[in-house]
Parts: sequence; C-alpha cells; structure tokens
Amino acid sequence: MSSAAKNLLRFLATSGLVMLSAVALTFVVDPLQIFRPARLFAAMYSQDSRMQDAGLIRSQNFDTVFMGTSLAIHFRQSDLDRVLGVHSLKLSLNGSTSVEQNFVLAAALERHPKRVLWEMDDWIFREAPDIDSNIHVPADLYRRNLRGFASYLFSGSMARESAWILARSIPLIEKPVAWLTTGVLFKFPISHVDDINVLRPGFDVAGTYNAKRARAAFRYISDPVRSVHLSDGVDYDMRVRNFERDAIGLIAAHPDVTFEIYYPPYSILQWVAMRDASPQTFEQVYHFTAYVSRRLTSFPNVRLYDFREAKDVTHDLNNYADVIHHSPTIDLKVLSWLAEGKYVVDPTDPTASLDRLKAQVEAYRMEEP
Amino acid sequence: MTKSEKDLMLFNSYPFIFLFLPIALFGYFALGRFGNLAPAIWLALASLAFYAVSNWAFVALLLASIAFNYLVGWLLIAYRLRTGVRFAVLTAGVAGDLLVLCYFKYAGFLAANLNALFSTGLSVNVLLPVGISFYSFTQIAFLVDAYRGKVAHYALPHYALFVTYFPHLIAGPILHHKDMIPQFESAESKSPNPRLILCGLMIFAIGLFKKTGLADGIQPLVSLAFSSEATPSFDQAWIGALAYTFQLYFDFSGYSDMAIGISLMFGIFLPLNFNSPYKATSVIDFWRRWHMTLSQFLRDYLYIPLGGNRNGRLLRYVNLMITMVLGGLWHGAAWTFVAWGALHGVYLCINNAWNHFGPAVAPRFARVTEIAALILTFLAVVIAWVFFRADSMASALSVLSKMADPTQIIFGRGEMANTMFVLIYAALAWFAPNTQEIMGYDHTNRTVGETSGAWSRRPAFLYVSAAVLAFGILGIQQHSEFIYFRF
Repeated sequence: MSSAAKNLLRFLATSGLVMLSAVALTFVVDPLQIFRPARLFAAMYSQDSRMQDAGLIRSQNFDTVFMGTSLAIHFRQSDLDRVLGVHSLKLSLNGSTSVEQNFVLAAALERHPKRVLWEMDDWIFREAPDIDSNIHVPADLYRRNLRGFASYLFSGSMARESAWILARSIPLIEKPVAWLTTGVLFKFPISHVDDINVLRPGFDVAGTYNAKRARAAFRYISDPVRSVHLSDGVDYDMRVRNFERDAIGLIAAHPDVTFEIYYPPYSILQWVAMRDASPQTFEQVYHFTAYVSRRLTSFPNVRLYDFREAKDVTHDLNNYADVIHHSPTIDLKVLSWLAEGKYVVDPTDPTASLDRLKAQVEAYRMEEP
Repeated sequence: MTKSEKDLMLFNSYPFIFLFLPIALFGYFALGRFGNLAPAIWLALASLAFYAVSNWAFVALLLASIAFNYLVGWLLIAYRLRTGVRFAVLTAGVAGDLLVLCYFKYAGFLAANLNALFSTGLSVNVLLPVGISFYSFTQIAFLVDAYRGKVAHYALPHYALFVTYFPHLIAGPILHHKDMIPQFESAESKSPNPRLILCGLMIFAIGLFKKTGLADGIQPLVSLAFSSEATPSFDQAWIGALAYTFQLYFDFSGYSDMAIGISLMFGIFLPLNFNSPYKATSVIDFWRRWHMTLSQFLRDYLYIPLGGNRNGRLLRYVNLMITMVLGGLWHGAAWTFVAWGALHGVYLCINNAWNHFGPAVAPRFARVTEIAALILTFLAVVIAWVFFRADSMASALSVLSKMADPTQIIFGRGEMANTMFVLIYAALAWFAPNTQEIMGYDHTNRTVGETSGAWSRRPAFLYVSAAVLAFGILGIQQHSEFIYFRF
C-alpha cells in the first residue's frame, strides 16, 4: 500500500474516532437529560421548548403538565405548584399548533400524570404540517427510537453544548463561560428548571404591558391593509377536523386524566378588531368556539374555563402588550381563578359565557386616551 | 420550508456524503479501466441524477439547454459561415439562453413592477430551476468563444459533463470550457489517485466546517437585525450586519471549497472562487477576491464587450455601472440586488477615480494607509451587504438607519457576548490563511500540497483536518441550505 493510501486510511479512521468521541461526550454530559437526570454536571436548560421538552418529560417528576402557546409561556412552575397544590411541568410552546401540542402532550402522558392544564384558543387549530415534517420538533427524540437517539448523539451542536457545559463545570473558567452563554449561540443558559422561558429579572413589565401598546396593536391589526389577515386560517371545517384529532382524540384516549382547559383572557380589543374590521371572522370564531365548548364539556374528565369574559381584566388595557398577550400579573390571576374554580363553563349551557362575551363585544366602545 | 428546499441533495447532507459521493467515485474509477469516454458518461449521468433528486421537473430544461447550446456551438465551430450569419447564429444562441433565464428568473419581478406602476392585475408565478443562472452563464461563454474562434470541437459527452458536472452545477464556481473540457478528456484523471482523494477530502472538510460550524453557527445573530420582528438598536444592527457579512463569506466560500474538494477526488481541478476577500484593500481588490469566477465572467463577457476602459474615463464608469447593476440583478430579481450592484458600481467608479486623481502615498505611511484602506473597504462592503440580505428596500433602509443612529445603544451582556463571537469570526477572516494557502492548491499548475509552506505537508495536519471533517459532518443540520442556491 502506498503512503498516500495509508494516509487516506489514517484520515478516515481519525475522522471516525473524533466523531465517536463527540458522541461519547454528548452521551456523558447529556445536555437534554434524555438518558438520565443530570448528576456529573450541573443541569442546564434551553429556552427552545420544542427541543427542551423532550428532555424535561424524561428528567422531571410531575403529576400535572401545563400546555399552551406564548400566552402560557411565562408562567413559573413554582407558582403553579404553590397556587394549585400540584407538582407541575410546564411544556408550553411559543406559537404552537394543535399538532405540536398534541404530540408533546401525548409523550408527557406516557409518564402518567393525573392532570393536564391546557391553555387553548381557536388559533392553535390552524392548518399545520404533520409532526415529522416540522423541522423544529425533534419528533424521534420524543419517540425515543434509534433514529432519535442517533440524531441527538451525532449532533455537532449537542456535542458543542456538551463541551460548553463541561467547560462551565471547570471552576477556573466557569464565570466567563456563563457570561458568554446568552442563549443565542449557546442554547443552554438556564440553571433552574423554574426559570425556563420566564421573564428575566429586571424585565420592564410596565414598559411592555400598557394601554398605549395595546391600542397601537389594535390600530395595526385593524388597519384596512392588514385586517384581511384576521381571517387567515379560520376555515371552520379544517379547525373542527384538527380539534377532533388533536384535542378530542387525546382526551378520549386518557379517561383517567383530568383535563382542565381554559380559554385565555384576550383583551377585548382582539374581538373588537374582528367586530369592526372582519365581522365574518368574528362569526366564524364564535361558531367554532361554541362547537369546541359543547364537545369539551361533554367529557366527564374535562373541566372547561372561559376567562375571556373576565371583564375586570380584559377591559383593562394596561394588562396587555398587544391585543392578546397578558402580563405576568394576569398569569397569577389565571392560576387563582383555576384554584377557585371561577369562570367554569356550565356543561348544561356551554355557550352561555360565549354569549356574554359577544354582548360585551357588541357594547364596547373604544376610549381614546 | 418549501418542499424543494427540503428535498435538495446538499453537499452538507448525509445522503450525499455517505451514499451519492462514494457511488459516483467508485463508478468513475471502475469504468476508467474501459477507456476514457465511459467515466465521463458515468459522471454526466451521475450529475443528472444529482440534479434530478431535487429538480426532476427541470431535468428536461437542462438537457434542452445543453442540446441547444451544443448545436449552436457546433454551427459556429464546424461550418465556415459568413461573418453576418455567424453573428446572427451567436445572437440567436445567446438570446435563447437569456430568454429562458429571464423567463424563469425575472418574469415574476417584471409582472410585479408592471402591477405596481399600472395596476395591471398581472400575476406570474414561475418556479426558479436551481442552477439556471450558473449553467446559462457557462454556456453563453462557450458560445461567445466559439464565435471568436477560440473553441475546438468537443464531443457531446464531454460538453454535457462540462455543463452538468455536479460539484459546480448548483452554485458554481462558474466554469470555463477551456479549463474544464481538456481535463475531462484527459486519461490521467480516470484512475484513482489516493493523494488527490486525500487532499480533496481535506479541502472538502474545511469547506464543510466553514458551512456547518461557522456559517450556520453565526446565523442566529443575523436575525437580530434582519428578522421581520426585529427593531434593532445601533449596536444590534451592526452586530447583525457584521454577522451576515461573515455568514455569507463562510457559507459561500465553504460551498466553493467543498466543490473544489469533491472535484479533486475525481482528479479534476476547479478554479478558485475566493481569495480572502475581506483582506482586500480596495473595492477593485475585493472583486478580484470575491466570487472570482463571476467577476471574471462579467469582465470578459460583459464589461469588455461593452467597451471596458477603451473609450475614455466617462464611458468606463458607465460600463462599470452597467456591469455591476446587471451583476446585482443576476443574483436575484429584486430591487435590493439592483441597489447592491449599483452601490458596488459606485464604489468601483470612486475607486478608479481615486486611483487616477488621488494623491500618492508617501512610503512611510504605506502601512497605515493600507490598514485604513482595508477598514474602509470592509465597511463599504458591509453596508452593501445590508441590501443583499434584506427582504425589501424598506427593510434595508430601516437597518441602515439603525446603523447610523448611535443614540440607540443597548450593549448589554447579550450584545457584548455577541460582539465577542463576531470578533472571533473577523479574526478568522482577516488573519487566518485561506483554504488554498493551507492546502497549497494551485489551480493554474494543477498541483496541490506541493508548495513548501502548505500546512497540508505537515503530518499533524492530517489529524487536524480529519477532526475538522468529523466536526463538519456532526454539524450537519437537516434544514440548512446554502445561501447561493437561490441565485
């Protein structure tokens, strides 16, 4: 064999060896805690819930899971535990669809929690790709199959994160490494599970949630140029199909689990924008929500809450960053309502709260500051 | 993500690295025993298969384009036509290529602009065949050279391979027939050369790492300035613009390195496309270092035929502007690309005027001047990249306005950390040797690893580059497309 051919073999063998070393590093450090809860190295967590949840479901102990969109992302698990007397795991996903929520919840339900808290609105039932076509959800890792483990272990970014977590465990360089871990390039900046996706200390709550911003958002979405988007993805039949598959399918398959589902307290401006700029959208959302309420309340293991009629919150625009996203103060209020059983939808009259909301919307007049 | 993006067989994908490339190499060298033509046909078929995986709908277009240009070229080469007829044949050939290119690339853009001006209600949705900009240009060059009498007759399989050759087909480098076809005809490249395969793998490794380790790694910082939700501060806008400057360089030069490395495994030397462009000390110098094969094409087949610098200073500037605006438009059918090209045209005019009218620099200030020139050139290029990256003119102007407004500075912990990462990338671009320096790759003399200073001659480099390949492969993300695929 020529020396060039020997060098070629050495090169390929070395590449293979380095790859196996990286695999070993990821397996030992296990940044997502897929194989075992963190022991050798301090546990670190990512803000990327679609990835992080695959590990949380395995590494955490819980009897209650909390699911939702950006409206449920800033909750603290410790608040849930304290107010509701549970041992919770927050799995909320920013901008998520019912396909994603169903998939993550189904994986969590394999750990047999007693209760699911679910922030649910009509928007999650929009059209969405199936879970295996969704590049943001590592579906096989949730499924814990060979392909999922291989994609985790043979991932350069996981090896890089592992090396970074390893570096962070060295006392001499711990501080600069922690300082550089902002979550943008290195994705595991959080050291306490309770801090995942909560608002950082010193966050300007008053500057973010105020009536000025809520009104500005209202003007933006109800502008004639953009108001056409209010009707994006509101096709009734499609939403019903998605709801039946992703929500009812899961609820019916787990009769031993209690599903506490709530409609989030959007600001009244969201509905007023529809009323004024796209009345047909308002009608469609009304009919779809009525259908959802009737279906959900027909299950004995579902308790449905409608917080959209909570006038003291939804009419106070200082609670909002735009027309739907409410402040952390309202997060706590939502928990207290859940604990106190307020705004529970009556199974014998499931659309009563919806009709009260409709009356509020029809009567509402914008107050300019 | 669109279906076509998802289905592309990228160089930075497992199917390409572990399946397509080994099979293509094995077939090529196995058929090398049966003569000179069979491996070329195999490689052309493999290239078509490579293209068909993601663009099967456009394979017929590619084949038709090859047949059309080969026929026109054959008329120009094989027949002694009168001058007027030769010119008419050339015009028909070039016009045919440009018409197809314009239809697929610019029809939608034209319709949108007509709509904006006259409310015509015209709507055109045409899918862009991947690589059409590249294979159109290579064949236009072939026709022009055939007209000039600079082309010998090529066999159809070699010509087809020249156009379809998979290492360059999708995003260049833009090949020249006089450089490539003699290599395809040569018997030497048809038997496996372990040294060339090893050097090719090393170059491929460097390119793959540039893409998956460096370009993909810094991508999150780009969205700080350019995402639709972003309202960046002064420092965030600069971090985003600089991050894109380095992302684009490592992405495209990484792709070009991978193309060169893959081709070298087949014993074929591709031309260089990059030569440390951010080390340029003038915009003229920059264009000799950035996307070099495009610059050469535009110079030889647009700028010089327009008159180049032969008709006085003013017309030279006009020719520069035309060349750069069309070069910008070649990158994409959008006003942002036109603005980017026009800005570089203006830069080149200023640069030429400065060379002519500017004061001479005293030797004792040469070093300082050179550093100042490097910084000025770099900043000019960064500003132009904002147009190149932005989704719209409004977005580009918004980012530029943030970059010009130092009253809004955040520079918190996140921005400081991001600045550190940008500085690391800058250090790599400014101070690290480039791939051809590391490998001693000499396209002109068809040698690699033979220059005494090349790192590739050091034994330890074998292991370092093997590790680089491993990190490059591990860094592969299933949703990471090369930026230049869309051009």
